[in-house]
Amino acid sequence: MRVPIQIVDWATREPVQAELFDGVTVEHFLETQNEWRPVVVEAAKKMVQSGSPQDIVPRHFHWDWTSKEADLRILAFSFIGISAGGNLQGLMKLENAGRSGRIAWQKGKPLTYVDYLETAPWNIKPLMQALGRSQKFAAVGTRLIEAAVRKSLDEGFKGRLALHSLTTSERFYLDVCGMTAVGRDPAKQNLLWCEFTPEQAERFLKEGAT
Amino acid sequence: MNKNRDWLIRKAELEDGCFVSVGGLVDAMEQAAETSSNVIPFKHAFARFLQLARRDRKLSMEQLAKKVDVDLVELLKIETDDQYTPTIRTVHQIAEFLKIPEKKLMALAGLLRVKDAQFQNAALKFAARSEPVEKLSQEEHSALEEYVKFLCER
Repeated sequence: MRVPIQIVDWATREPVQAELFDGVTVEHFLETQNEWRPVVVEAAKKMVQSGSPQDIVPRHFHWDWTSKEADLRILAFSFIGISAGGNLQGLMKLENAGRSGRIAWQKGKPLTYVDYLETAPWNIKPLMQALGRSQKFAAVGTRLIEAAVRKSLDEGFKGRLALHSLTTSERFYLDVCGMTAVGRDPAKQNLLWCEFTPEQAERFLKEGAT
Repeated sequence: MNKNRDWLIRKAELEDGCFVSVGGLVDAMEQAAETSSNVIPFKHAFARFLQLARRDRKLSMEQLAKKVDVDLVELLKIETDDQYTPTIRTVHQIAEFLKIPEKKLMALAGLLRVKDAQFQNAALKFAARSEPVEKLSQEEHSALEEYVKFLCER
């Protein structure tokens, strides 16, 4: 699947062409290792040096996709990427089996679970500010979540979606996407379980969270 | 996908370049803690394997670093530090050079989890059998060849 989409060039605030694809390969993992990681590490160092509060220093900069490489062949998982300007702008891994809702009235109902999602560091404002640069593209996270909701619809899960948000990302999932904060999960480092009901997912797709 | 321009611009402004990450270091740390006791013997086997394979080809560490296009410091860490986890690219380069299946070498380097008991036993046996000496002994040479055969055949 390769779908032309638009994301936003942050300098001009204008939509630009991008591509959403599911043919993620080991080379994409290598690209995140080689192109993304050094930028995140450099920015994180600057943030620490400048005395940024620990809770806003990126906690994911040690992440690599190595452990995900073997998952490429497992059908219950979907990998989706966004590319623009010849570069990878975002990557996501979805699980489409074995997960169910935790909101009281959604309990036991199957959903799509976002196991991993990350955008390129040049699309994250705090990182670019630390490096004295401007962010490049916007709405990459939104497009990935949109694709995740559409995957949930395709799977017959009616748009139900859930994820464990990192602390630094909670604002995006709660305020921007409009997901429900169900609760901290002691089994997952006390991360916040965020969930879309079918109604919230539909609202996100059509109207936005506000 | 939504083609409405206003929707997209509104979403971009709301997103405002904030962090959106899901998964990451927390998971990685959790997994590392779970598997660290199993990974160290593997890494030791990886270190010894690389050292013997290099010496078998009569290459210095510097020469090997050039041949596989990997930072010399990283090769040094691999051969001398059991706690060190090499990058996926480095293992990929080494696997290509030594003509060893990449996934097997990644497992040995502690980059992929392996539940195969036979694989674990072979790694442990190899690590225990190969002792560092200046020149490869017949025993080391046999151990190395036997292990290369094991990695390539399975």
